[in-house]
Amino acid sequence: MRPDVGGATEALLDRARRGDARAFEQLALEVQRPLYRHAARMVGHDDAEDVVQDALLSAWKSLASFEGTSFRAWVFRIVTNRALDRLRSRRRRPELPLDPPAEDDDAVGWAEPAAPGAELADLAADREALRVVEEALATLPAEQRAVLLLRDVEGFAYEEIAIITSTEIGTVKSRIHRGRVAVRNILVSRGWKGSSG
Amino acid sequence: MHPFGDLSAYLDGALSPEARTSVQAHLDTCALCRTRLAELRGTARLIAALPMPVPSRSLVPRISAPVWMVALRTFSTVASAAAILLFVVSAAISSFPRTQSAGTAPAAAPAPTAALDAARSGATSASAAPQSDQKYAAPTSASASPGAAFNVVPSPTLAPPELATASDATRRLDTGSAAPSASIGDFAVASRISSGTEQPPFNPFPWLWLVLGVAFAAVSFILGRRLRSA
Repeated sequence: MRPDVGGATEALLDRARRGDARAFEQLALEVQRPLYRHAARMVGHDDAEDVVQDALLSAWKSLASFEGTSFRAWVFRIVTNRALDRLRSRRRRPELPLDPPAEDDDAVGWAEPAAPGAELADLAADREALRVVEEALATLPAEQRAVLLLRDVEGFAYEEIAIITSTEIGTVKSRIHRGRVAVRNILVSRGWKGSSG
Repeated sequence: MHPFGDLSAYLDGALSPEARTSVQAHLDTCALCRTRLAELRGTARLIAALPMPVPSRSLVPRISAPVWMVALRTFSTVASAAAILLFVVSAAISSFPRTQSAGTAPAAAPAPTAALDAARSGATSASAAPQSDQKYAAPTSASASPGAAFNVVPSPTLAPPELATASDATRRLDTGSAAPSASIGDFAVASRISSGTEQPPFNPFPWLWLVLGVAFAAVSFILGRRLRSA
C-alpha cells in the first residue's frame, strides 16, 4: 500500500512546495481522513480534530524543510508526534516514557483460550470483535499503539515506521509484535480462540 | 526454541532473507508456531478492519484565500483606478470652460488656439470628433473613455453652431459631450459665445469619483493585506 506513487500527488507536492496553497489543500484533503483515523485512536475523538488540523498547518509552514518523497509518511510523522506530545502532557509525570523498555520479544506471554469460540481469523466481520479490538488498542502503551496502527491500519513498511516514529527498526519490530500479541490476548480472554493454523 | 518474536515480522515480510528461511523451516515442523502465526494474522486483519471514524468537520486548514476574496480584490483595484481616472477627467472637463473664458476668445471659428484646446479636451474627455479633419483631434480622441459616457448629456441632433445657444454649448463643453458630430467649430463657437457670460454650474461629479476611488482603493488595500497574511 503505497499511495504516494501516484504522479498526481507528486505534481501537487511540487506545486505546494513552490508555495501553491491550493495544491497543498488538495494534498491535505487526500490524507485528512486517514490522519484523523490515526489521531482518533491515539488521543481520542475529542482531541483528534485539533491534532490533525494543527499538524496540517504545521506541515504547510514547514513544507520547505520537507525533503523526502512520501508526503503521506511525513504528515503521519507530524500527527504521530503531536498525538504523543498531547498524551504526555495529559500525564501527571510527563517525563516517564509512554512505552516501558522492551524485554525479550520471544518471552511475551500468550494467553490461552479459556473456552472454545470463534477463530480469530474469522472475526473480521464481527462487530463485537471489532469493538474489543478497539478497546484492546486503547490499553496499549501509546508508542506501541502508534506503531501497530501505522503498520496494520495505514500499511506503512517497517522502514517507514522507523522514520515516522524516529526509532530503530528493531524497536518498530518489537512494538508491532508486542502490540499484536497484547490485542490477541485480550481477544482470547473474551472467548475467541486462536486459529488452528 | 520457538521464534515467537519473529513471527510478526515474518507475517509482514520484514525479516532478512536468512531469518525468513530459518522461521520458515521452523514453521514447517512446529504446529504451535503455525497457530501463533495464524492468530497474529487474524489479529492484524481485525485491526485493519476497524471502522473508519469520520471527523465532524474539514480538517484542512484554510491557507489559500477564498475565490470571492481574490475576485473582489481585483474588482476593487480596477474600480479604484477607473474612479480616479474619472475624477481626473471630470475635474479637467469642469475646469476647462472657466480657464477658457478667462482668456481672450478668438473671433474666427477655426482659430488655432481653439483647435488646440478642443484637441486637448478631446484627449481627456474623449469627445470624439470623427468628422473633423483636424490633425490634433483625430488621434487623441480615438479611445472613448468611460468617463465621457457617464458625463455625457445626450444631444442626438446637434444644432448647427450658429443656432447653438450659449448655455447649450457651455453645458456640452462642461459635461464633455461625446456627440460624434461635434466638430472643432462647435467648441470654438461655444467658447466664444460663453466667454465672460456664464459660469458653469457646480459639478459634484469629480468629488464623487474621488471618494469612490479612495473607497475602492481602501477595500483593495485591506483585501490585499488579508490575502498576503493568509
